[in-house]
Amino acid sequence: MLLLWELGGRAVTEYRLFLPSIIEVMGAGVQLLFSGDVARHFLVTLERFLTGYLIAAALGASLGVALGYFRLLHDLLGTVVELLRPMPSVAIIPVAILMLGIGDAMIVAVTVYASVWPILINTVDGVRHIEGALVDTGRTFGLNRRRILWQIILPAASPYIVTGLRIALSIALILVTTAEMVAGSKGLGFFILDQERSMNSSNMYAGVLIVAVLGYALNRLFVAIEARVMRWQHGMLNREAV
Amino acid sequence: MRPEKLSGIGFLFIALGLWEFAARKELVNPLLVPPLSRIVAVFWDLFSTGEMPLQIAVSMKRAALGYGLAGAVFISLGIVMGLSRPIHRALEVIVEMLRPVPPPVVIPVALLFFGLEDEMKVFVIFFSCAWPILLNTIDGVRRVDPVLLNTARTFRLRRLKTIWQVVLPAASPQIMTGLRVSLPIMLILVVISEMVGSTDGIGYFILDSQRRFRVAQMYAGMAALAILGYTLNQFFNLLHRRLLSWHWGMMRRNLE
Repeated sequence: MLLLWELGGRAVTEYRLFLPSIIEVMGAGVQLLFSGDVARHFLVTLERFLTGYLIAAALGASLGVALGYFRLLHDLLGTVVELLRPMPSVAIIPVAILMLGIGDAMIVAVTVYASVWPILINTVDGVRHIEGALVDTGRTFGLNRRRILWQIILPAASPYIVTGLRIALSIALILVTTAEMVAGSKGLGFFILDQERSMNSSNMYAGVLIVAVLGYALNRLFVAIEARVMRWQHGMLNREAV
Repeated sequence: MRPEKLSGIGFLFIALGLWEFAARKELVNPLLVPPLSRIVAVFWDLFSTGEMPLQIAVSMKRAALGYGLAGAVFISLGIVMGLSRPIHRALEVIVEMLRPVPPPVVIPVALLFFGLEDEMKVFVIFFSCAWPILLNTIDGVRRVDPVLLNTARTFRLRRLKTIWQVVLPAASPQIMTGLRVSLPIMLILVVISEMVGSTDGIGYFILDSQRRFRVAQMYAGMAALAILGYTLNQFFNLLHRRLLSWHWGMMRRNLE
């Protein structure tokens, strides 16, 4: 397939401007990596992504536990959540620009807003699915609230929380790059759009490639961490099967 | 109405009331957060003048084209890939390479090829809806009971007929899952692509309102978008229940 691209590209030279050969893209990619130009954009994007994602994880999980555990809170906020959820999260970008300008704060805020939903909703779900007996057992043993939270609720809900975190991972990357395209002067999203506007198509494809690799690497990293952290759960499931 | 629903709505009204109050008393900057009543008024205006329905119609046309195309192409491709191992192996690498590309990054590429035309947005939507549909279809086809396929073969059903009458119905619950997952993705990408490169559509409308500092209009656009998302979801659920009623019926019978 790659070969076909290369050959096809060479045959139809009039499209050269739109679809440079793989060799050119690779060349541009290597050149960009060494020039440090892309490295700067890359680091900016990565930093925004990590900040936003981690804040969303902390916020989503804690809010989710609270909403899942306290019925009253859930009843009060449930309708508001249901109202906000169907709105595509990117629609928040203009509001964020209005309130926070076009700096890092805006991009991080947008990322947090968008990636908090899957984490929040999955956590609520997870906490609600905990067997009442587990919490009751904890109470019987005289555990205080904090220990019930840390030693019973969080571990029992963690498979759900992890699912939410995994969904949020790709959403966060989407939002960072989008926000950078709509309003930004740094970052990979800006870089790619900028290269397109200056008709530097090899650089543009190289940028797309870098983002794809970043997305892939983040996903892999997540799966690796998940396997390590959640090992106890797989062990438990296996034991039950035996 | 259930009491917990009631308290939720009660809380919502209190929150909205607080918003109105804070904006009126200028506790928050009314330029950034206009009173709710103004947003509602602007919303109503935009609807009665036909401005908002027009923008939504433009966006929905693009969305329907991209989504429909993605459904047609990737359900068929998924069936082929699910049935034939060699084809699956040949295409798997490409799929795995393209899948981690975050969809908005495709926008500049699409801009290069299609410019600011409708095709650009349609392509972006098409691309981003592709993966959930494709992967779920492959999965669904793979899980078709081999007994079904063998039975079809015994009855000497032709290949095309087997696909149409056996494989497709058996895989349809999972195909529906793929279509459902890509529905919100579709809406997100419509908005993004219109924000980055467009002169009309609801995404452009919202960003443009912000740039012109018509804040109430911006919020009204967001509200319309939320309603749109909700309606699409409800509509899909309805369709889902209709189309797959036989499936649920069968599941119930199996349980009994």
